[in-house]
Amino acid sequence: MNTTLLGRDSDSGTLDIGVLGIGNIGMVHLKSALAMANVDVLAVADAAPENRNRAERAGVSRTYEDYATLLESEELDAAVVALPPFLHADAVEVAAANDVDVFVEKPLARSTAEADRLLEAADAAGIAVGVDHTLRYQPDMKGVKTDYDDGTVGHVPYASITRLNDGPLGRPPARDAPPEWALDPDAAGGGSLLELGIHCFDVLRWLFGDLEVECAAIDGTLDLPVEDAATVLLRAPETETIISLHCGSYQWEELPEVNTQLRLEGIAGTISNEDHLPENFYASAAKSALTNVATRATGDEPDVFGPTFYLRAHYDALADFLESVRAGSSPPVDGEDGRRTLELTEEAYERATRTDDEELESSEVTL
Amino acid sequence: MDRRVCVAAADESGGWTPDVRERTAAFARPVEAVLEATADSIVADDDGVTIVPDAHYPFHPSTGVVTDPAVVGAICRFLTDRTGTDLSVAVAGSEHVDVDRTAAFLGYPELVDRFDAALFDPADEPRTTVVRDVGGRSVSTSIPTRLLDERVIVVPTLRPTRTGQFAGVTRTLSRFDDRSDGSPEATIAAADAIEPALAVLDATTAYGDDPHATNAVFAGPAASVDAVGASLLGRSIDEDPVLKPTLETEPPVEIERIGSGAVDVESIRDRLSGGRLPATGDAHPAVTAAYRLYAAVGRDAVPPQLEGGR
Repeated sequence: MNTTLLGRDSDSGTLDIGVLGIGNIGMVHLKSALAMANVDVLAVADAAPENRNRAERAGVSRTYEDYATLLESEELDAAVVALPPFLHADAVEVAAANDVDVFVEKPLARSTAEADRLLEAADAAGIAVGVDHTLRYQPDMKGVKTDYDDGTVGHVPYASITRLNDGPLGRPPARDAPPEWALDPDAAGGGSLLELGIHCFDVLRWLFGDLEVECAAIDGTLDLPVEDAATVLLRAPETETIISLHCGSYQWEELPEVNTQLRLEGIAGTISNEDHLPENFYASAAKSALTNVATRATGDEPDVFGPTFYLRAHYDALADFLESVRAGSSPPVDGEDGRRTLELTEEAYERATRTDDEELESSEVTL
Repeated sequence: MDRRVCVAAADESGGWTPDVRERTAAFARPVEAVLEATADSIVADDDGVTIVPDAHYPFHPSTGVVTDPAVVGAICRFLTDRTGTDLSVAVAGSEHVDVDRTAAFLGYPELVDRFDAALFDPADEPRTTVVRDVGGRSVSTSIPTRLLDERVIVVPTLRPTRTGQFAGVTRTLSRFDDRSDGSPEATIAAADAIEPALAVLDATTAYGDDPHATNAVFAGPAASVDAVGASLLGRSIDEDPVLKPTLETEPPVEIERIGSGAVDVESIRDRLSGGRLPATGDAHPAVTAAYRLYAAVGRDAVPPQLEGGR
């Protein structure tokens, strides 16, 4: 933990942060941080001038082209690492060298080996590492966990989770160039299993405890360099639950509704995240907006990104991390959580690419 | 001049077949049927043939938003069986994704290898300036010379453009003009300069509000196929600034059903008429403005998606 700087700031309670990478998700983190009480965004870094311009328009006074220069020039308590995955480990190493806690966008790294390197650097420097596994912050997922923890359906022998979106190629009409790194297995570390499946691994561990990969299949709907579909069969030993997971970045996305389905089939009934989604996103957004406007009169804090439903989860994840920095406690979703989801991803890749002969040998050994 | 457009359909039913070889085999019969009826001049001559699909972006071919490479494969198979001609496939790509990646994602390298054809990247080709008179205006185009020298079979898919017109033959070809300013005159001039020998409309999967598997292919002269495509999408040619000048002096198009598969042209038109591509996903400017007003009053943050291009 960054005790020196935390000590300095604990008087005022205000944290000084920087945001590294302000593409789509980095901009969400930046806007979240700008809206938080007791958080000052000192600077942002992004290689793209248009992104730096957007940050300046959002109210950030200092922008850097290079994230390392930012970390070395600014006195920060914490940094949000929203760079492409191939830069996560390098960025955390520079943050560690400058005694800055980090909140890293998922995936934590491209591999467990890279995550180990990153975590060793963080551990040696004593900085905290949080990971933005945001699914568990969504209201519908929280609703599922509350119902499950309350025992409303009893034992759950089977669960399923599906998460689909349109991935880097998007949907027609063609408008933008897809990011190069997202379709480059070296830069991204993988395809939809690493991009989307890793969210599912995290939320399933949050619900059922640790997981084991039974078998997996990966596929591509186009001739892409990375998979855009993956299916994994998992076992949760603690709860004796078998889980099927499917993720894909092949489906045209219809915002504001996002195609994520989580179902827990219990002895006494079913728990579904759909039971915890707004019946009408637009009506729900309007209600949330009116409530926020009313806070002007009551003096309460507004529910930042409240009308957007999904972005609020990113706000809450970052707020929770920064609260842990302030309190000097472990991040609620820490580096080891991020590493374990990477380990499960690697196990799924290994299972998916295992040949029939290897599968047979494995079965023989087991028997 | 023969204005006839021939149509045939595969006897397929059920969902999408992911294997491109299986789809090529399934479409071989209707493609053969329409080419037998329309491609005499191409078969009779051994000069090179370049096939131009709609591959403007790597969307999945099961959506109908791009030409199905399997239809291109079926055309290659027909020409390979009947001629000794050199075949190539021209992928235009777009400003968003380069030609190499677009072709690779859609599976064209493997497909051209199978038929001993070649992929050509228009960016690597020498160009020729061609001037065309369009509506009394002299329009200069810059076209890959190979598209001017070889016989061109253009294979659009049955889909609307972003602005709602039929994407079609003329607009597919205009992507190869380096000098195009996007005006209707430039679009017409490019297609006129290339002067395709034949157009094959891939309606095996069409798009109009959503994908629709008709399993049908149409073939005929470029202008006639554009007229048929616009009609199937329920578009008025009089309201299309690209098609109207080309078609206003032409006689009506006759559609001839051939082959064994059933084709219900009226049903296709009913299903697709008025269909559009999905909405862009951008919030309406009024929504953006309203959200920003709300955010100011409610002390909330404006999501990046609602910044309204600021």
